Amino acid sequence: MTPLRRAILWVALALLATLPSGPGSAAPPTSVEGVPIDPDAELIVALTDDTTNMDPRLGMGSIRSNYIRQVFESLVDVDRQGKPVPGLALSWKPVNDLTWEFALRRGVTFHDGEPFNADTVLFNLDRMFRKNLDRWGIKDVAAGTAFDKVYPFVTRWEKVDDFTVRVHTSEPSASLWDILGREPLVPRAWTIKNGVEALNDKPVGTGPWKLVAWRRKDHMAFERNDAYWGAPPLTKRLRLQVIPEAAARIAALRAGQVHLVEAVPPLDAEVLGRNPAVKVVTSVQKLACRLYLNGRTKDTYDSGGKDGAFIDPRVRLALNLAVNREAIIAKIFYGLAVTNASPVATVAYGYAPQPPYPYDPARARALLAEAGSTAARPLTMQLLLPAKHYGQAFDETVGAVVEMLKAVGVQVTVQTLDFGTLLQTLTKGTLPANGAFAACRTSNNLDADDFVRDWASTTLVNWTPYPPELLTLYQSTRRQVDVKKRQASLAELQQKIREWAPVVSLYQEKKAYAHATRVLQFVPTQELNMDFRGVALKR
Amino acid sequence: MRAFLLRRLVHAVFVVWGVVTVVFFLVRLTGDPAALLVDATATREEVARTRQMLGLDRPLYVQYVDFLTSAPLGDFGVSIRERRPAMRMVLEHFWPATAQLALAALVLAVVLPIPLGVIAATHRNGLVDHLSRLGSLFLQSMPSFWLGLMLILLFAVALGGLLPAFGWGTLRHLILPAVTLAAAPLAQNVRLIRSGMLEVLQHDYVRTARAKGLAERGVIYRHAFRNAAGPFLTVSGLSLGFMLSGTIVIETVFSWPGMGRLIVQAVPGRDFPVIQAAVFLFAMLFVAVNLVVDVLQGLLDPRARVFEDAG
Repeated sequence: MTPLRRAILWVALALLATLPSGPGSAAPPTSVEGVPIDPDAELIVALTDDTTNMDPRLGMGSIRSNYIRQVFESLVDVDRQGKPVPGLALSWKPVNDLTWEFALRRGVTFHDGEPFNADTVLFNLDRMFRKNLDRWGIKDVAAGTAFDKVYPFVTRWEKVDDFTVRVHTSEPSASLWDILGREPLVPRAWTIKNGVEALNDKPVGTGPWKLVAWRRKDHMAFERNDAYWGAPPLTKRLRLQVIPEAAARIAALRAGQVHLVEAVPPLDAEVLGRNPAVKVVTSVQKLACRLYLNGRTKDTYDSGGKDGAFIDPRVRLALNLAVNREAIIAKIFYGLAVTNASPVATVAYGYAPQPPYPYDPARARALLAEAGSTAARPLTMQLLLPAKHYGQAFDETVGAVVEMLKAVGVQVTVQTLDFGTLLQTLTKGTLPANGAFAACRTSNNLDADDFVRDWASTTLVNWTPYPPELLTLYQSTRRQVDVKKRQASLAELQQKIREWAPVVSLYQEKKAYAHATRVLQFVPTQELNMDFRGVALKR
Repeated sequence: MRAFLLRRLVHAVFVVWGVVTVVFFLVRLTGDPAALLVDATATREEVARTRQMLGLDRPLYVQYVDFLTSAPLGDFGVSIRERRPAMRMVLEHFWPATAQLALAALVLAVVLPIPLGVIAATHRNGLVDHLSRLGSLFLQSMPSFWLGLMLILLFAVALGGLLPAFGWGTLRHLILPAVTLAAAPLAQNVRLIRSGMLEVLQHDYVRTARAKGLAERGVIYRHAFRNAAGPFLTVSGLSLGFMLSGTIVIETVFSWPGMGRLIVQAVPGRDFPVIQAAVFLFAMLFVAVNLVVDVLQGLLDPRARVFEDAG
């Protein structure tokens, strides 16, 4: 057994020892840290929007995740510090270079009593990779992530016994535990019986909360799953209330109609923080906002027969040096954002801190001149801005960045459009040669791979494909299963990507939440969803 | 009158067909929803596959014929975002949430202005008239979005939760959104009735009615208001359109789970079936209400009896 495998096994066994022994193993406590709580209370949380669907296969964006992950769980869970911990799998390990093995948790049932076992996992893998759908008699869906296309190296999966599943790949895959492990799992028998459409009505999962009522665009009501395999939730009911308007959310909190609100705007967070009846908490998110630049060569993909205006790394580096991120974070975000020169989110597994791009307009001008930009023939940029899609602070940031780029001699014209139109432009590949676009990306996964794969294939966001040496390095990170060696490769890749500067990095979001002081133990996660398992209401 | 109604029904069919046809092609001009359904890291092949699954790779005329043959049966297809029947979604949000809100606001905007406008006109340049004009100006010039937030802060926060800040289901929940939605058309109707009444009150038949010794209330409401109400009725009919579109903003501010918010999300999400179903319903309602207004106008004012003229 290699040192890597021994280490993985040791961690898995240690985690196993800390887990509760069986379902519903303890009644909810009546106090936390000596403070009496109300275990029969209803926790009311105001969210910005309703989910459009509860089927995880349709996508796990930030809005959907908040709902879906209360009901459904995945093989790999996340602790409050963002670290992977056993979920429906007790452990996961590579048994050889081309095979991963997941040991499943025993004694878990779905809310309707259906047992969770290896057959559940195989069924879900079939759905993810669009295999055997006819055999199960279920429909295919327009999935957010087409696993069969994105991860074609996953070749087959098999049941070793009722609680062990093996997944085989055609090439080593270091992050397979993350790729497969974070997908929420739906019940097999229930879905076959009721059809995939039923997942969009009142689905059953293994999660801590049972969905009991869903009034669309209004609220979703849950009840504690008393048979939950982990520690049961500390309130009897949970209500996710949709309040789209930020000012109305905050008013509802101040009026005592809700206990907790998400997505507090930066300025409001500062004001609310002074209110003794309210507590503001923040967490760094994976959402990274950037300017994507057309750096496609005319012979790669289709770029209208012209080289992109941003092929030269010196130009892209110059644009990065022209942006005063500290000022943006202080003046627009009131501190509720961080800078990150790495392509990987600071809270992702495998992140390696990179020196920030300094704000250096003089060097930016020099680099642009070196790359051929002159006063007579300045660099031009046609910037597509999906206004009102990512929020006011994003729109203001882009406005500020445009002025900063103009200050170093770049002629920028902004074209405001809606997000759908931007995506259509990117799908068609009709971004102008001097085109750029402002957008943010996040991840539903834990591993750095989900970020660094952006420049490896023809995706919507890939307008500066990896040069051969970076592509080789990227592929080696993907195949390297030795943890230490992989961390080193990932760090090297991040450093090289920083120098190669495929995008103008703007900021990484910090999300603010506000809650009444009656709410105890709320810790915002760094994932796309909130976790209410340990949250209590003071009696 | 039967012939008039029949003719208007035929007109209505053409109007609704015209509207949904224009919307059918217009929404498709705005772009393709497939890219919105996949991750940003999706490849072009994945987007194409999604488009195929949604049936959007078929020629436009095939999609249109499909739409035309299904829509009259109430089948507008399945929502691209929610994967549920589009018309069912629209109706779920329309009834009772949006209907309740629009009707409450319509009642406020149509009933309240009658006494307010009449009093303002009969007390011309008096304190009541000045207050009425000032109030109308205030309500008309205030954005409903801002007014809604101010009402929430006042009634839900400052007055200790006198009225709820969000939600629906009870009369208490309805008050703030209905008042906010009704504010601008109410003010407009007060001014309309006031100016109509001021004009009518100077006519000879009003003087004659008074000279005959009729009670002042009878003169004002039976003779003067009846003649002044024509433009008010027409505008009230059109107000329904305002109410329905106004719910888009109000429903967002008050978290009202109605049709407005459904449309707000369907448009940028390119959810064609939902947009088409909603427009169809709006068009039907608008045509029906205006038909009712025409009939009412004829009943109030014999000169406006279009159905009799029509034979």
